[in-house]
Amino acid sequence: MVTHVVDETLFASTDPVTLRGSACADCGAHVFPAMASCPVCAGVDVTAVALPTEGTVWSWTTQHFAPKPPFRTDEFQPFSIGYIDLGPVIVEGWLVGRTTWQIGEPVRLVLAKAWTDAGIDVHTFGFESMAGGETP
Amino acid sequence: MSDDDIYIVGAGRTVFGRYDGEDNELAEQAVRSALADCGLSWKDVEFAVGGTNGETKPDNLVARLGLTGLPFVTVKNGCATGGVALMTARNGLLAERTDIACVVGYDNHARGAFNASPARYGIGDWYGATGMMVTTSYFALKIQRYLHEHGLGERTLGYAAEKAFEYAAAHPYAWRRKPVTVDEAMDADMINEPLTRFMFCSPDAGAVSLVLARGARAFDLCERPVRLASVALRGRRPGSFEVFSPWLSPGERTSPSIDAAAAAFASAGVSPSDVQVAQLQDTEAGAEIIHLAETGLVPHGAQEEAYRNGDLKVDGRLPINTDGGLLANGEPVGASGLRQVHEVVRQLQGRADGMQVPGDPRIGFTHVYGAPGISACTVLVSEGA
Ligand SMILES: [Zn+2]
Repeated sequence: MVTHVVDETLFASTDPVTLRGSACADCGAHVFPAMASCPVCAGVDVTAVALPTEGTVWSWTTQHFAPKPPFRTDEFQPFSIGYIDLGPVIVEGWLVGRTTWQIGEPVRLVLAKAWTDAGIDVHTFGFESMAGGETP
Repeated sequence: MSDDDIYIVGAGRTVFGRYDGEDNELAEQAVRSALADCGLSWKDVEFAVGGTNGETKPDNLVARLGLTGLPFVTVKNGCATGGVALMTARNGLLAERTDIACVVGYDNHARGAFNASPARYGIGDWYGATGMMVTTSYFALKIQRYLHEHGLGERTLGYAAEKAFEYAAAHPYAWRRKPVTVDEAMDADMINEPLTRFMFCSPDAGAVSLVLARGARAFDLCERPVRLASVALRGRRPGSFEVFSPWLSPGERTSPSIDAAAAAFASAGVSPSDVQVAQLQDTEAGAEIIHLAETGLVPHGAQEEAYRNGDLKVDGRLPINTDGGLLANGEPVGASGLRQVHEVVRQLQGRADGMQVPGDPRIGFTHVYGAPGISACTVLVSEGA
């Protein structure tokens, strides 16, 4: 079954889900989404890499009001976003499953439904808690 | 005093808030007010700089002020527009060896949070579509991390809001002038944890103008000219945490505010501990807390105690944002940086529009910061009557 996503260039794979970043051969910096050059050292020898799928919450907040367009949703519910420390890079993304978080708690990458387009679920990436009663 | 010293000799501003008229009309009011402050007319101005983030053309202000043929430079640098305009005017006076420059900054924004487009920031449409292109969440994510790293309580945010509206209640040009208690600020509607409704500024309308003079001419025009001891502009380096960032570098955090403040202090030969009155970018309450430390005025982690002790209020050790800051004045982007300078100039001249800092302060500091990671700082010195 095809998985529909908000932007295919964000993903190295959707099954299993991994994010596509890029790494600089000169300074080692990782960025997300993948870029053709390195903003850290201004180098141009960069290659696409799959980023780690587990990390910790570096910061978080919950969006209590519906953002203006171009934000899309079927029905607005408050949702959390955070910066997730994946090791070589800190990535911004949804935190799914609840609306209160702790800095430092372990999370893992998942696909999360963003909206429905003509009956088809369209997914983005998010992170869910690795504790909190989830099946290991 | 040398021929290379640049002084602010006139300062004028409008009341900030909602405005139904034309943008240029607002700007004209500020210019006429600044010129009247030092007894000059538009014909005396030799060099002009105007800044706005809106659609109007500042250089077309000459249609209202007079077609004197003067060079008029337009700047558009987001939140740092005011600082860049001031720097451009200073550089113009020094390079052209002329004596009188006029700077004006203004904007008249629609209601509600700024609505940014991902493409303008070089980000894919997914970022906006999934609800991450939101300035309020950026500020929340930044202060949430900062409070955690430096062991500060969320109540620090409430103190910052309470202080802003206390100053604003006494300031005739501020927009939101109703006092708010710390508890009211903490208990208000949550916008983005940990920031409530009273902890954010809103876009609005306003204009500010300054008249600059070079060397001895300043003392002919003004009883207490305020020397622009330095103005420094810096951009971001790797490790800074800026709005609309899908990723951040791990490791040491940098900031254009740290760099701009250090450059401004070094250039002026002044230390942060010499500052007696200051204006900091407080787009929301958390920004003021972070910028107190990034500029070197208060150590990281010591902010909560500084607020609680009243150090940052008018009779404290270091009065901050004495006109209510952005929280109470709102943010007409092009005017905001010049508003800060206007307030510090008035304080150093002993004629503050709102609460006057006691004890004849002589050394002031201003700091603006904004997207996409730029900061401009000034050191202002009153050499006395
Ligand atoms: Zn590199």
